[in-house]
Amino acid sequence: MNVNMIEAAHVARRWSFRCLLFCIIAGMVSGCASAKLKQARRDFYNGNPSQASGVLLDSEDISSRDRLLYFMEKGLILHHSGNFQESIDTLLSASALMKDQEVISAGEQTGSLVTSERITSYKGEYAERLLVHTYLIMNYLMINDHEDALVEAKQALEVYDTYPDACRDDYFTRSLIAHCYEAVGDVNDAYIEYKKLAELMSDPTPVADKLCALGARLGFDDEVAIYEKYLSETERNPAGADAPAELIVFISQGRSPIKIPENIVLPPSIRFSFSTYKDRSGSFFPPTVRTSGLSGPADMIATDVGGVLKASLKERLAQIIAKETARVVAKESIAHNIDDPLLEILVRVVFFIMEEPDTRSWQTLPAYLAMVRIPLQPGSHHIMISGANGGGGTVSIPEFEITPGRQYYYYSVRNNSRLKSF
Amino acid sequence: MFRNPIGKSIFFVCAMTAVFIMTGCSATTRDISPDEAIHYDEGYDFTDKHAIVSSLVESLLNKPPLVTRYDRPVIIVYNVANRTSEHIETDGITDDIRQQILQSGKARFVNKVQRDNIEKETSYQYGGNVAAETRLQRARQVGAEYLISGTLRSIKKKQPKQFRLTKKTLQYYSLTLELTDLQTGLIEWTDNVEIVRESSKPFIGW
Repeated sequence: MNVNMIEAAHVARRWSFRCLLFCIIAGMVSGCASAKLKQARRDFYNGNPSQASGVLLDSEDISSRDRLLYFMEKGLILHHSGNFQESIDTLLSASALMKDQEVISAGEQTGSLVTSERITSYKGEYAERLLVHTYLIMNYLMINDHEDALVEAKQALEVYDTYPDACRDDYFTRSLIAHCYEAVGDVNDAYIEYKKLAELMSDPTPVADKLCALGARLGFDDEVAIYEKYLSETERNPAGADAPAELIVFISQGRSPIKIPENIVLPPSIRFSFSTYKDRSGSFFPPTVRTSGLSGPADMIATDVGGVLKASLKERLAQIIAKETARVVAKESIAHNIDDPLLEILVRVVFFIMEEPDTRSWQTLPAYLAMVRIPLQPGSHHIMISGANGGGGTVSIPEFEITPGRQYYYYSVRNNSRLKSF
Repeated sequence: MFRNPIGKSIFFVCAMTAVFIMTGCSATTRDISPDEAIHYDEGYDFTDKHAIVSSLVESLLNKPPLVTRYDRPVIIVYNVANRTSEHIETDGITDDIRQQILQSGKARFVNKVQRDNIEKETSYQYGGNVAAETRLQRARQVGAEYLISGTLRSIKKKQPKQFRLTKKTLQYYSLTLELTDLQTGLIEWTDNVEIVRESSKPFIGW
């Protein structure tokens, strides 16, 4: 063996070692989930939202790749702690970050081709991006800021327009959007959104009374006649038809599904990995409302959050398969080009282990979101909601008085956290 | 490691490019005139506020009824409703409008924002601590003759999906302002300013 060949072999070994080191570090980094996020989720589900938000004090504690998840989890936890303004600030940061992430990072994408999807910044599933605006709308409504709620409603509409198939079944958010238009007195746009909702739902009964009331104000008599058919005789002339106020209850039930890893292995060392959603909650438990008599019949619109998340992942399927195939090809070509057989095996093993799917997701989301609307007559109200938590318990909304000039009252319920805006 | 030396060369080229990019980036600051037109994206910014306010105030001062009034009528300013898809503090617009009209000397304004504080101060003066001869007199506030209100609207259009390296967005803003005679309920003056801006953003960055 001449000197040149020995030298070349040394150079090759040195580069192989560097490459391996890079892969191992990248693998370790990608395997490290943000421990504080896990802790916060655990505290939240143990019924300590305040403790959970305390864990997530500084975004710098979390890897920049998981910054969006940090804002999402913290924003939702703060909402259920009753810190609506802080929740708004946090979720607005999430919204701004989502806009920045519209530019694809060439560096991240190239790196992920030889490592794992986990080294890229988390961008959120399409439904999660919509739900950032959903929680912002809820927060603004809880502080009675209808104008800013409408701003977020318009941004949510942009997400619907961008990802129509993935977000189609989120009836809850669309009903919030319709309500925002209604609350600022924009009757025509409110009618349009309620009508879109009626066309999307298999049974438009929950929005039929709104369409009839708003349609009558706009003079759409022919359309009012269509939607009146969905109402019973008592519902056509309900006790709350001329109600000056309305109680709107946001009910969060169960836990959203989480992503789990799935693998397809092809000999000798090719591994296709991807993630799927696994349910953590049972079916939706429709809550029932008991009132003190001074109110009309309640209407409810619910969304299967898990279903919308799954639709979002399915929408990205072609993109995921293309990226996964490109990664397998890139890794194979690198391993195939290595001279040293022992080193080639080592590199293949590292590549195989590193091929972990991206299972990051917004885990504090509920499995179901429901909006209950109760028309209220002037006077004092004591309202009970059975089954709001998905079980047999009853949520008792503290007695409250209708204030002249105030039209909407809001209440948010999730397990032990019950928050009111009055 | 590589059978083909091209792989190693590519690595070195990438590394050198990264070094050049990073050495080119350093933090700088500079003062900018508030009148200078600067837009980082298609969104509403302070330059738009200047343009909108100047144009509308000029129209208000040079058209009836204010152009024919020399007795400085009293005006009250209500909020400009934000109907855009951005969180915009419209108080900044109304503050600037009030300031420019006041500086023109053509009208006076009721301080609506300070009403609670005026009430507090009045109550304090009548609470027993203030000498009777220096107390302000009750029921001497001036009622407004006109009301200024308005609506800020926006329409955003994104370029349809197709193969391209940049994404274009068209943003339209419109601010309509109205002067209403509080006695008759008639709109005595109205005007609007429109801004249309196209921006382009790359799909791929570092």
